[in-house]
Amino acid sequence: MAADRARSHPDAQHALAAIRTELSRVRSSVSRIERDLNELEAGERGSGAQRRRPERYLRVLIDVYERGGRHGVAGEEWAAIGARHGYDRRGLGGFFTGANAPLRRIEGRVLLTVSGEQLIDGYLAGLQR
Amino acid sequence: MLVDGAWLHDRLGDDELVICEVDERPLIYRLGHIPGAHCLDWRLDLQDPVTRDVPDQEAISRLWRRIGLAPGRTVVFYGDKSNWYACFAFWLFRLYGATRLLILDGGRQAWVREQRPLTREEPVENASTEVRVPRRRRDLRAGWRDVQAAIADGVQLLDVRTPAEYRGDVLTEAGYPEEAAQRPGHIPGALSVPWDIAVGEDGRILADEALRARMASRGVDLAAPAITYCRIGERSAHTWFVLHELLGVRTRNYDGSWTEWGSMIGMPVSLGERP
Repeated sequence: MAADRARSHPDAQHALAAIRTELSRVRSSVSRIERDLNELEAGERGSGAQRRRPERYLRVLIDVYERGGRHGVAGEEWAAIGARHGYDRRGLGGFFTGANAPLRRIEGRVLLTVSGEQLIDGYLAGLQR
Repeated sequence: MLVDGAWLHDRLGDDELVICEVDERPLIYRLGHIPGAHCLDWRLDLQDPVTRDVPDQEAISRLWRRIGLAPGRTVVFYGDKSNWYACFAFWLFRLYGATRLLILDGGRQAWVREQRPLTREEPVENASTEVRVPRRRRDLRAGWRDVQAAIADGVQLLDVRTPAEYRGDVLTEAGYPEEAAQRPGHIPGALSVPWDIAVGEDGRILADEALRARMASRGVDLAAPAITYCRIGERSAHTWFVLHELLGVRTRNYDGSWTEWGSMIGMPVSLGERP
């Protein structure tokens, strides 16, 4: 009943809209702060904005980007990508750990995170130089 | 309008084909591309460099001359991200009157997975052929005034962004902070029709029957005209391609999209699940 009243009352709708807008802004701010914090932490580790990753690590990410598109790669293909670049099952687990993990699993598929896409951008930019 | 990898593979080296790769990350082209493919950079080649707009007739003429798009030749577009930007390029070329255009189904992703040939050798740019670019068509593009009129006239508005963007839970998807509008939400009356209902997990576009069923399940009337929009007009170009080119629905792409609508003073905005 209270929820129905809230839905129908113009003031309540306005309040809901304002809260949603505020929530969006907070989420944007949090993601910006997280990104800045990650960069600062990486800098404190003494390796610049991003830790240097081995070539084969980055090629794994490239393969996920190339073969997975927007929907990522299925489990079997993920294992094949890892094997192609010399990673065993345990080694592949490292791609999913930490606050800046480059990959995530969603419904059995492996997708790039924003951090993963940033690593790819850095790798591609390096090829330019 | 759609071709598969085998079709294109058999025709590599065919002088009548102009192959263009259009990626969200244009540098991926440098890792290897379909032999003979030109790289179109969506930031540099498919937009006006100053104004937020499509390139003008002169810029398109230069681009077509560069890739050798002479009369009688056919362009095949492909790219990363399930052909988002390839579809945008297709829409843009169609807007300027190009008729012989194709999309490689599944884009770069499908070509790579099928282990078809890639090269790092870049094609010679063609600078001599004279190219006449027709005037821009008016029936394929919608501006914000067209969208306002559409709301009043009951023309279908199709919001092809993620459900979270549609509801107004987020201003933009993670990783695209530069594309955020001032306000979250959707255009009042717009249906939520995420672009990816038209593709399988491999990035290929579904068969016509499945497309019709999925569009119908989202409330899309395939007998009525429509306007598609997303955040900056590239995902909506994908849905435009599906509706206009594959299903024959009279469709316009609102390339100003949410970054424009959600940032303009006084524009009506809806929040939540409902249109």
